[in-house]
Amino acid sequence: MKVPVKDQYLINPSLVFFIVHSMQIGVGVLGFQRYVAIYTEQDSWITVLIAGATIHIVIWIMYKMLNKEQGDIISIHENVFGKWIGGLLSFLFMLYLIALGITILRTFIEVLQVWMFPLMKTWTFSLVYLIAIYYIIAGGFRTVVGACFLGVVIPFYLIFTFLAPLEFANFRNLLPVFDHSIKETLSSFKTMTLSYLGFELLLVYYPFIKKPETSQKWAHYGNLFTVILYLYLMLITLVYFTPEHLKRTIWATLTMWKIIKFPFVERFEYIGIASWVVVILPNLCLAFWAASRTAKRLFNVKQKKVLIAILTITLIANTLLRDRASIDLLNSRVSKIGLYFIYGYIPFLFVCFSFINKVRKKT
Amino acid sequence: MITNDLETIQKMMLTGSLLIRLKEDDNQGLLVKAEMNKAREVTIPEEEFSVVGPKESFVESLTTNLNLVRKRLPIPQLEIKEFTVGTLSCTRVAVLYISGIANEENINTALQRVGDLKYHQILDSSYIAQMISDNDNSPFPQLIDTERPDRVAGVLAEGSIVILVDGSPHALIGPTTLVKFFSALEDYFINWQLASVLRVIRLFAVSFSILVTPVYVAVLNYHYELIPKDLMATLVSSRSLIPLPPFLEALILELTIELLREAGARLPTKVGQTIGIVGGIVIGTASVEAGLTSNVLLIIVALAALASFTTPVYKMGNAIRLIRFPFLLLAELWGLIGIGIAFIFLMGHILRLTSFGRPYLEPIYPPRLEDLKDAFVRLPFKMQEKRPIELQSPDTVMFSKRKADENKDIDE
Repeated sequence: MKVPVKDQYLINPSLVFFIVHSMQIGVGVLGFQRYVAIYTEQDSWITVLIAGATIHIVIWIMYKMLNKEQGDIISIHENVFGKWIGGLLSFLFMLYLIALGITILRTFIEVLQVWMFPLMKTWTFSLVYLIAIYYIIAGGFRTVVGACFLGVVIPFYLIFTFLAPLEFANFRNLLPVFDHSIKETLSSFKTMTLSYLGFELLLVYYPFIKKPETSQKWAHYGNLFTVILYLYLMLITLVYFTPEHLKRTIWATLTMWKIIKFPFVERFEYIGIASWVVVILPNLCLAFWAASRTAKRLFNVKQKKVLIAILTITLIANTLLRDRASIDLLNSRVSKIGLYFIYGYIPFLFVCFSFINKVRKKT
Repeated sequence: MITNDLETIQKMMLTGSLLIRLKEDDNQGLLVKAEMNKAREVTIPEEEFSVVGPKESFVESLTTNLNLVRKRLPIPQLEIKEFTVGTLSCTRVAVLYISGIANEENINTALQRVGDLKYHQILDSSYIAQMISDNDNSPFPQLIDTERPDRVAGVLAEGSIVILVDGSPHALIGPTTLVKFFSALEDYFINWQLASVLRVIRLFAVSFSILVTPVYVAVLNYHYELIPKDLMATLVSSRSLIPLPPFLEALILELTIELLREAGARLPTKVGQTIGIVGGIVIGTASVEAGLTSNVLLIIVALAALASFTTPVYKMGNAIRLIRFPFLLLAELWGLIGIGIAFIFLMGHILRLTSFGRPYLEPIYPPRLEDLKDAFVRLPFKMQEKRPIELQSPDTVMFSKRKADENKDIDE
């Protein structure tokens, strides 16, 4: 079932690179190292690679489905499970997207409150940020993709700032290699995949790509770039911190920024966090765009109205989440759902989808 | 023109024609154009002055202006569509393009928007610019205005569309992109290395002009840890006697500069110089000595003002003047994070802008690597083989590189 999108709203296939990559890079980058290194210490970089490789497989599965369907997850659901059950599943997917958006924004505000402004009110910042998001999403999908593109290109200079910790690097920290059991690797693998989440939104924006079949390689490149970036960060973190030190460092990336020193600037993490305002913008824009788009396709309502409703819910939810414990809980719940979604649900959907297609072909 | 239609006769006579009748009660007559065309002489451009290159600029007469363009493009494909706009002013508006090079869709957009104009009086091309631009709530100009016929000829050859208005020495160019506003015509008169460096400096100057005072306010208000000890000492000693908070201090100085600028622009040139001296030297030095502002900030604000003058298109400079203030306000609210927020608003806004329906931020977004040859840098002419993709010209090749290179070899 083809989902029609007007020609002028379609985007170039190569931009999929930026959409996939920008959605994967988010608040998690500021402190993902610790959660992985708790289990596998100096071997964490291997986990980064393994997790990245499995994501490639999931992307491949998604393209298999989408290329056949030429639609989005809503039409796949309807096709496989019928109107009611399929609709319910799409609705659950929409809730997941909203929860994802809420988590990203609230976690970022927490970083702000911990590192910069301890007394900052959650709701004021959320309000202003959500207005900016509304303004961008109201410009349509092309504008959202533009935000993704600039959200990757503009903060790109930060990559070079991570070279500074190498001055104090101790490469012996990486030894011995392959010193962890499969069980430990699996546990770290689980937390690492969370950092790769976000590419699954492809299930929603697929019909917006011009000649979508050709975009597959760009999606893979986008993921590959994320893998390289995480590997780069992880290696630098591992050589800079000792394993014991790393286990006690919640925001490893931010801590590394602290040592950068120019004649005119110290404490670089302030500039880093301010740049992160631009980095998480594509995350939020894309998540809320996808959620409102799903609602539009499901209920046949105006996307603008749904968007306002979703953003209002986000604002209220953000204000209600007050302490570290509840934010942590939200984070772990949402990431668990994401984990099951990409490794459990997508393969399951793929099996059902190909089964039904085969049965229909016969009849 | 022989006619007996009263309405045409009236219209033509009001715009300067003679009516000749053979007999007194003839109902037919011959209309002869005999308008007196008093116009300023063609002079050197004042706003877009260049040291090298041609020094002609448009004047207030449409006929002269069309002649200036036609002289540079003596080809039959240069088409001029004329409209009469304004119920009272009956202003002649000409839309110029080269058929076969300009994109059909762009031409239709321009013709339709100019044709649809309903207003009683058009006094200048900037009226038209505001009425036909895609988003009239934006501080950014979406059409370039120029007073140089050579620039007009240049963009016509690239496939843009130019609008000339009778009574206005400024031509409008569209579709255009943000980076085009930072390119001066002089960039094409000097060699490409120098031109590229100058363009990069200009872009740097603009971002500096927008960001530097907000960063000063943000850092002094919230993030003094950012400043190393030695530099902090300089800042503290210059600010130790200032009673005002950084935000007010910056706001006052920014407004002072704006005042000077306005006063300088409204006054005759000779008095204007006096104002410059009074403002720059007397007020600046006195306010520092009186302990109202710190001299570090004075330097910063003056540099920012200087940097905003580097934009070759005057209207863009005005837009930059304006968007500094939201940045300043948000910097006072949330420090560097506030600047980040202001930045994403700006980013969203520019991403949404279009010029004649074409993306404004091109070639950055949508990313078109080929168009970068004439954006942040200007590559040599031999690499400017193709017309910009932005303009979607049906005839993409400007000249064949292969033909130009054919006879080139060592010792030949």
